[in-house]
Amino acid sequence: MKDKLLLLLVLVTGLCSCQKGESDYDDSPQANLDALWTIIDQRYCFLEYKEKELGFSWADIHAKYSARLNPKMSRTQLFEVLCHMLGELKDGHVNISTSLDLGRNWSWKDDYPQNLDESLRDEYLQTDYNLASGLKYRILPDNIAYVVYESFQDAIGEGNLDDMFLSLRMCNGMILDIRSNGGGNLDNVEKLASHFTNEKVLVGYRSHKTGTGHNDFSPLEAEYISPNKGVRWQKPCVVLTNRSCYSAANTFVRDMKEMPVVTIMGDYTGGGSGLPFSSEIPIGWSVRFSASPSYDAQKQQIEFGIAPDIPCSLDTEKAKQGIDSMIEEARAFMGIKN
Amino acid sequence: MNKRIVLFLNLCLLAMVAVAQDNTSLVNGKEKKDMPASVSRPLQVFTLFGGGFSNQLDTYLSPMEYTGYQLSFLTGRERMTHWADGHISFQSLLQGAFSHTKNPARTATAWGGRLAYDAGWHYHWNLTDKFSLKAGGLVGADLGFLYISRNSNNPAQGRLGIDISASAGGSYRFKIRKLPVQVKYQADLPLMGCMFSPQFGQSYYDISQGSRNHNVCFSHPGNALCFRQLLTFDLEFNRASLRFGYMGDIRQSHVNSIRMHDLNHSFMIGYVRYLKVIKRNER
Repeated sequence: MKDKLLLLLVLVTGLCSCQKGESDYDDSPQANLDALWTIIDQRYCFLEYKEKELGFSWADIHAKYSARLNPKMSRTQLFEVLCHMLGELKDGHVNISTSLDLGRNWSWKDDYPQNLDESLRDEYLQTDYNLASGLKYRILPDNIAYVVYESFQDAIGEGNLDDMFLSLRMCNGMILDIRSNGGGNLDNVEKLASHFTNEKVLVGYRSHKTGTGHNDFSPLEAEYISPNKGVRWQKPCVVLTNRSCYSAANTFVRDMKEMPVVTIMGDYTGGGSGLPFSSEIPIGWSVRFSASPSYDAQKQQIEFGIAPDIPCSLDTEKAKQGIDSMIEEARAFMGIKN
Repeated sequence: MNKRIVLFLNLCLLAMVAVAQDNTSLVNGKEKKDMPASVSRPLQVFTLFGGGFSNQLDTYLSPMEYTGYQLSFLTGRERMTHWADGHISFQSLLQGAFSHTKNPARTATAWGGRLAYDAGWHYHWNLTDKFSLKAGGLVGADLGFLYISRNSNNPAQGRLGIDISASAGGSYRFKIRKLPVQVKYQADLPLMGCMFSPQFGQSYYDISQGSRNHNVCFSHPGNALCFRQLLTFDLEFNRASLRFGYMGDIRQSHVNSIRMHDLNHSFMIGYVRYLKVIKRNER
């Protein structure tokens, strides 16, 4: 009888042990702000850097924005406060996503001239350009290849690239226009950049957070681009950039800057060198933030963009005459090079 | 913390029961006299299907707990060996689960899957004709994932691990009217192993590029307290039994500053078949 009682006790305690996990779900405005603040505090990879560069203290930010909350505020008001709080980071990879709106700070491009007139670009491409996956290209009258790649989200295959480079092999140079390319897949970056080198090139470094502390980072790991086994471009190449080259496009510019035949022309890139992760806050809104940083080959931050080798901008007066001054400067530069 | 204490007490109680008993002969000892050795050791094969509640947390993907339902199966084999006068049994278990859960605000969905295999041995103490206890160990491997569709570069978390578990249980036979019924209980507690985990802010892209530091972690109850228990009732008919019961499966870990739990409670139902294994030379 004693044994049976003991067994019964075992079974009962065993079943009790399978309680649901502790839930600390709290949907109040303060709980949402706290959750968002904690995500950034523990997981955002540029916090120390931004505090220094932008002159704020993340600890003070909590108090500053908590003061703007009240328990009866609407969801829209809460969204506004949280967006303003995240806006302090000035990071295009930091967003709050709701069914109503995308909270964002796009000052990295909105505060600067666009340096791109898309209708003008279309005039250079005309209508009979070649289109290989995301790559639009044609040969300009002075035998310069003009290639436009609008998004690294557009998949490009090795076959596409080989065929494109083969068909452009008689050109004197190439203008690779990635203005307003907002980024996308890093695999496409590596794939395209690998066609511009004959040797393995050190292009930068990357790291990731290893813990919740502001300085908990893994050692820097070198990133290389190895030469592609297919067709490789050996002639001068100009990469045209503007402030809207962001994220993966920023990484592409970082990589191309190290290629011997490549010159970067245009404006600074927009930056965005942190690989974004997602999380969420109790109200159910998705939060995106930069989680692991990458650096250039000199181990310098490129979060706020990369300087061009040759700065140039779009001349609006010439644009009215149907001339894209940036493309023209690139053509002229190529003429000098040749 | 309370949960951990209850788990610990539970295991202590099981151990006390096991140690307190003396060794007696097997229940099916009567069959031994008339039949070949292998026939007297029927192979018990069972398959259970179930549904229940799932509670998932993985701070690599989200700090919020996701709750929802789970479909699972558990299939296994158990057979007494001829070791230690027939007191030792071999058991293998294959467990699979698929979960569909939502965040507290019900704005995001997570899909989870898991496949686990365990195999090991138990020593049996037949305390009376009706009541027996067992204790032993299992070696297991675990493979799984949790996927949240709306996440960007961290949409999923993979799970991979191997471990050695302590396992204990008991069974009790009785009758409801004339129908033989057997109630069984088994609890498994992983004691040590190793598991895969990305680092706190490490992406799978990074791992694919060759960054693989501290991705294999030593696991033990201090950082990965897991527990599985199965309480079943067998309604025994002539050639097979109807088995139904409860399975609780708790998987937890806290490594590389990433907290994870996967808590499942399922009602299981299925069948048990007892197969006679006749070796060629015993026909």
